[in-house]
Amino acid sequence: VDQREFFKSVTALTKSGQHEEALEKLQDALGRNALDAEAIEKAGRLCDAAFAATATSRTRVAILAQCTSTWLSHALTATAWGRGHALHVVDGAYDNVIQELMAASSKIDVVVLLPWHQRLLFSGFNRPSQERIDEACAFWQQAWGLVTGRLGSRILQVGYDWITPGPLGYGLGGRGDGDVAVIRAANDALRRALPAGAAFIDLEQISGVMGRERFYDPRRHYWTKQPFSEAGTVRLSEHIAASVSALITGPKKVLVLDLDNTLWGGVVGETGPLGIALGEGPDGEAFRHFQEHVKKLSDRGVVLAVCSKNNDADAREPFTQNPNMALSLDDFAQFEATWDPKATVIRRIAKTLQLGVDSFVFFDDNPAEREQVRQALPEVAVVEVPEDPAEFIRALDAALWFEATDLTGEDRARSEQYRADRKRRESEVAFESLDAYLGSLEMVADVRRVDEADLDRVVQLIGKTNQFNLTTRRHSFAKVRALIEDPGTVALTLRMIDRFGDYGLVSVIIGVPDSERPGALHIDTWLMSCRVINRTVEEFFFNTLIEECRAKGVGSLVGVYAATAKNGLVANLYPRLGFTPRGPAEAGQQTYDLELTPTTAAKTFVRSLALTTQNVPA
Amino acid sequence: LVHDQQSGVDVLERVNDVFRDVFDDESLSVRPETTAADVEGWDSLMHVRLIIAIEKAFRVRFSSSEVASLKDVGDLIGLLQTKAPASQAQ
Repeated sequence: VDQREFFKSVTALTKSGQHEEALEKLQDALGRNALDAEAIEKAGRLCDAAFAATATSRTRVAILAQCTSTWLSHALTATAWGRGHALHVVDGAYDNVIQELMAASSKIDVVVLLPWHQRLLFSGFNRPSQERIDEACAFWQQAWGLVTGRLGSRILQVGYDWITPGPLGYGLGGRGDGDVAVIRAANDALRRALPAGAAFIDLEQISGVMGRERFYDPRRHYWTKQPFSEAGTVRLSEHIAASVSALITGPKKVLVLDLDNTLWGGVVGETGPLGIALGEGPDGEAFRHFQEHVKKLSDRGVVLAVCSKNNDADAREPFTQNPNMALSLDDFAQFEATWDPKATVIRRIAKTLQLGVDSFVFFDDNPAEREQVRQALPEVAVVEVPEDPAEFIRALDAALWFEATDLTGEDRARSEQYRADRKRRESEVAFESLDAYLGSLEMVADVRRVDEADLDRVVQLIGKTNQFNLTTRRHSFAKVRALIEDPGTVALTLRMIDRFGDYGLVSVIIGVPDSERPGALHIDTWLMSCRVINRTVEEFFFNTLIEECRAKGVGSLVGVYAATAKNGLVANLYPRLGFTPRGPAEAGQQTYDLELTPTTAAKTFVRSLALTTQNVPA
Repeated sequence: LVHDQQSGVDVLERVNDVFRDVFDDESLSVRPETTAADVEGWDSLMHVRLIIAIEKAFRVRFSSSEVASLKDVGDLIGLLQTKAPASQAQ
């Protein structure tokens, strides 16, 4: 996202009165973490204006702080909106907590109490630390009384933090009268005294994860009594936003997980249950650790579900056969391995579990799947998953979707209940219009004749592709070379890119002159990597094949589907493309015919690179 | 765009871009003699917002005393020019 252009377009929408559209655009960019810290604060100001113009119903939040909180309030508005929660944030005067609480007259849902350590650490020498801690605790207790008693609002108490370990240094700062020890003791006292139903934000933990040198900017404390850096302001606002949502709507309930390259490395349909990366090697260890983390989330009450594009039998095999799995099939409340669009599957899971999709979090390594879910189901929280599995746990934690103010026995029992409820249920598959999504992927394919340079990759695909493979003929290198040297052969490769990246060479078609029917091309091999399945890539390739046939004077096509345990996915490919079955299937093999007409073509959302380069067959 | 030498005009232009972003006003045009009193909304909090944005745009870092010494946009440009060599190592 070019931020300048982004703000220009949002401002233009606002100026023409299209506030809803402006809010949608802001939410989309914020939800994708596409804006930097400075821009987030600005986005918050724009959100505020658009909320006011549209009279959006908002949760009212007051920030009362012992430091300046102007920046924080804008950042909070923005980060909360990125998480789907509209807030009206009001900001109290600097270090006027009690006065503001006494004077407040409008309805406030949540009061954020943000301490700063000026009195706790620096209020005169020779005062015993315990006296200062007690004083701080008494001060906040007085504030809590006003929040719940006078205003009837929920309490969100932020903890104290230190920037440097203080005069006693690193060695002694953490014990006795050391600054770090005093801060921690004050936080412990606050936590113990906090009334039930209040939220506590452990600032010391949050700044520690980012690093205090980045989280704080001491200069700003002296300039404006605002100690946080821009990045720190945004990070803190994310935590406040998550806590406000936890107080008002509760945490998310369901974690929907992909399988291939999410719970293990590799594609189980290609490698088999023992060929996946899991438990050994750097990748395998990371995937194993992620599984353990997810299992612990389930133990604390997060309901787990699987949504994977796979053959059901393949998807289940690792759970029953691979000894390195930490998760078992029983850990999931719903297990969906199908080729349906993921948004459709998530809706189905929600229906089965009788939960709203707005309580769902989606975790999938494939950016195109995430995009489809974002577009079709904006209520679902989609985690930006990093490429490296070593970063998975951090990414899931940082998204803060499961932050809770308290855990009850009921929470812990929840996943168990959903697992127990798991039964076979019939639910109709609600197919949705995918056109907008497919169009938005901006897929461009480059079809070329197989040449010597591609032979290795082509032979490799022929050797390992199981799912989208019509005949599963495992030709050798020599055989393929012989085929492409025959002038009657049509051998094409397809490379694809979309807005998320380059998929490389993903599909191969090899056709040879049919031995029985003169002028017909027999499709000996047609295969495709499952990374690009269900995106009309096969339709595009089919169209290109037909163009090539026309150029060669081929009048008809002969296709064969040879059923295997793995390729059920393409059982209906030829009928879908208009082919007619030739008699009944024999020994799992069905032959199809298609007479080419000048108008034969399939609908596709893939564009051809041919429009701009010379790479397509002449 | 690489500036071998930071002329005052180049710097003023880039500073003006930052002002427009920060104050959200595409028509804003500052001069060396412009002071906080001349720009609507330029209060002490906005000033810090501006300083942070300038730091980012020019890849420099100001000290507290430098920030305190600024009287007008001309001072800011002068200060940026003393820091310019380091800032151009992008």
